[in-house]
Amino acid sequence: MRPAARVAFAAALAAASPVAQAQDARPKRIVSINQCTDELVLRLADPDRVASVSWLSRDAANSNVAALADRVPVNHGLAEEVMSHRPDVVLAGAWSSRTTIEILKRLGVKLVEFDVPRTLDEARAEIRKLAAAIGEQERGEAMVRAIDAGLAALPSPKPSLRALVMQPNGFTVEKGSLVEDIMNRAGLENLASRVGSGGYLQVPLEAVALQQADVMILNSEAYGAPSLATAALDHPIIKALGRRLRVIALPPKLWTCVGPNLVDATRSLIARTRGAEAVTR
Amino acid sequence: MTAASVCPIARAEATNHGRLVAGLCLIVACAFVGSLFVGYAGLDVPQAIADALRGAQTLPAIVLVELRVPRALLGCFVGFSLGLAGAAMQGFLRNPLAEPGVVGVSGAAALGAVIAFYSGLSTLVPLALPFGAIAGAIFAALLLFALVGRGAGTMTVILAGVAINSFAAALTSLALNLSPNGFSALEIVYWLMGSLVDRSLPQVWLATPFMLAGWILLLTAAPALDALSLGEPTARSLGFDMTRVRVRLVVGAALAVGASVAVSGAIGFIGLVAPHVLRPFVGHKPGRLLFVSGLGGAALLLLADIAARLLPIRPELKLGVITAMVGAPFLFQLVYRLRREA
Repeated sequence: MRPAARVAFAAALAAASPVAQAQDARPKRIVSINQCTDELVLRLADPDRVASVSWLSRDAANSNVAALADRVPVNHGLAEEVMSHRPDVVLAGAWSSRTTIEILKRLGVKLVEFDVPRTLDEARAEIRKLAAAIGEQERGEAMVRAIDAGLAALPSPKPSLRALVMQPNGFTVEKGSLVEDIMNRAGLENLASRVGSGGYLQVPLEAVALQQADVMILNSEAYGAPSLATAALDHPIIKALGRRLRVIALPPKLWTCVGPNLVDATRSLIARTRGAEAVTR
Repeated sequence: MTAASVCPIARAEATNHGRLVAGLCLIVACAFVGSLFVGYAGLDVPQAIADALRGAQTLPAIVLVELRVPRALLGCFVGFSLGLAGAAMQGFLRNPLAEPGVVGVSGAAALGAVIAFYSGLSTLVPLALPFGAIAGAIFAALLLFALVGRGAGTMTVILAGVAINSFAAALTSLALNLSPNGFSALEIVYWLMGSLVDRSLPQVWLATPFMLAGWILLLTAAPALDALSLGEPTARSLGFDMTRVRVRLVVGAALAVGASVAVSGAIGFIGLVAPHVLRPFVGHKPGRLLFVSGLGGAALLLLADIAARLLPIRPELKLGVITAMVGAPFLFQLVYRLRREA
C-alpha cells in the first residue's frame, strides 16, 4: 500500500465507521493455489493483498492474467510454500493437491475451496463466492454485471450449428460443462453431449470424424513445445475434414476459467462461425 | 544313393517351408483385413473402400484412408520388423533371449525418438524422429555386442539388457520431465509400452523406407547366419567375413527397430515370441527363421492391436501391455529351461 493510501486508510479507520471496520477485517495475505482462483483474485483484489498465486498464472500463453501474476510471488501448490506466506485465507480449486489441502486444514488455515462451475450461472456464483471470501463483494458484483452486459450485447445466432470440441489427447467437452453452456450461448450444439453424460470424455479420432459436425473447435494450449497429446490435433484427418467442415482454433484460456474472458470466448465463437459482421452489428 | 534319398527330403522340406510361409501370409492378410474392420465408430468398410477407390472424399473414405489403413499398415510393418530383428539377433548371438526389447535396443531407440521429438527437432525436420530412434538403436546394439560378444552366457545378455534398458528409461524420463509442455511427463507410457492409436499416413511414409532397408540387410544375412550355426571357424572357412556380418546385423536391426519405435513406441516381446514359436517349424535353421519370424511378428502385432480395440478398457491398453501378457510366460519358460541346462 502506498503511503498516501495508508494515510487515507488510517483516516478512514479513525472515523470508525462500520464500513471502515468491515474493511479492516478483509484478509491481507491471500494465497491462491489454483489457476482459476488466481485469475479472479488477481482481477478482484489489490496486488498488495495477494501474497501468492500459482506459477501457472505467469504463463502468458495459458493465462489471461500473466501481467498481473508477474507482480506477485508464485507458488507450486505445496503446503510448505503456502504456509511461508502466513496466509489469512487460501483459495483452492477442485484440482488442487489433496495432500496440500489436508495439511492446510490440519494446520487450521482458513481455506475456501471452489468447484468447477458447470454453467454460466455457476460461474456467476463462483465470482460472488470468491469476492466474498476476500472481502471484495462490490468488485465481484461489478464483474458479474460486466459479464452480463457483455453477453447481452452479443447476438443469439439461429439456427444452431453442430459443433465438436477437440482437446489434446482426444478429449472433448461433454454434456453439462461451462464450455457447453458457452457454446449454446454462441449458437452451437455440442455434439459430444449425444455420446454420453457428464464431464470430459476421451473420444477416438475416427468417432470424431464420423460425427457429421458443422464446426470443429480445436482447443489446444499454446505450449510452444511438442507433445503427443497436442500432436494428435495435427493429424492429417483434421485437415481432410477441414474441407467438409469449419475448423477453428480457440485457446482454452478463454473459457477454462471464470472471468471476463468468457465474453471474449463467446464473441470469438460467434464471429468465427457466423462471420465477423454478426458481432459488430 | 545318398543323393537320391536326400533330394526328396529336401524337396519335402521346401514344400513344408512353402506351406508355412503361405499359411503365415494368410494369417497376416486376415489380421490386416480384420484390423481395417475393427474400430470405435461404426464404419461401413466395403462402402468406404468403394468410395476411396472412386476418389470420393466421403466421411467413411476419409476415416478408412487417414486412420484405419495407416494403423493396419504400421501394425503389419512394425510387427514384421520386430519379429525379424528378434530372429536375426538370436541367430547371431546364438541366444534365444536376444530380443530388441529385452536387450534394450527398443528402449534406446525410444530415448532417441523422445529427444528428437520433444526438443522440437522433429517438428522442423520430420526425418529427425526416425533418425533419432535409429541412432539410439545403433548405439544400444553396438553397446550390447561390445558388452556381450558372441556365444556369451544368457546371464550376460540379460544383465546387459537390464543395464541398457534401465539407463535408457531413466534418460527418457529425464527428457520428458525437461519438456515445457505439461502433457509430456505423462507420455512416457507411450514410449516405453507402445501404441498404434491414431497413426497417420505421413508416419507410414516416414518409417517404411528405413524399415525396408533394415529388412533387406537382415534377410540377406540368412546364409551367414546358417553358416554361423555350424560355428564361427566353419562360417569363416565358408567365406563369410564376420565383421561385415556383424555390421550388417547391427545396422539392419537398428534401422528396422529404430524406425518402428519412432512411430509406435517400444513394443516388447514380439521379437521373442515369434521366433520362439516358429523355430521348430524351420528345423532350427536361423536363416530360414528370419522371414517367417517377420510374418509371425506382423500377425502377432496386428492381433494384439485388434485385441487392444476390442477389450472394453478405455483409454485403450498400450500394445506393450498385451504383448507382455502373451510374451512374458515365454520369457519365464526360456529362463527356466536355460537354468536347467546350465
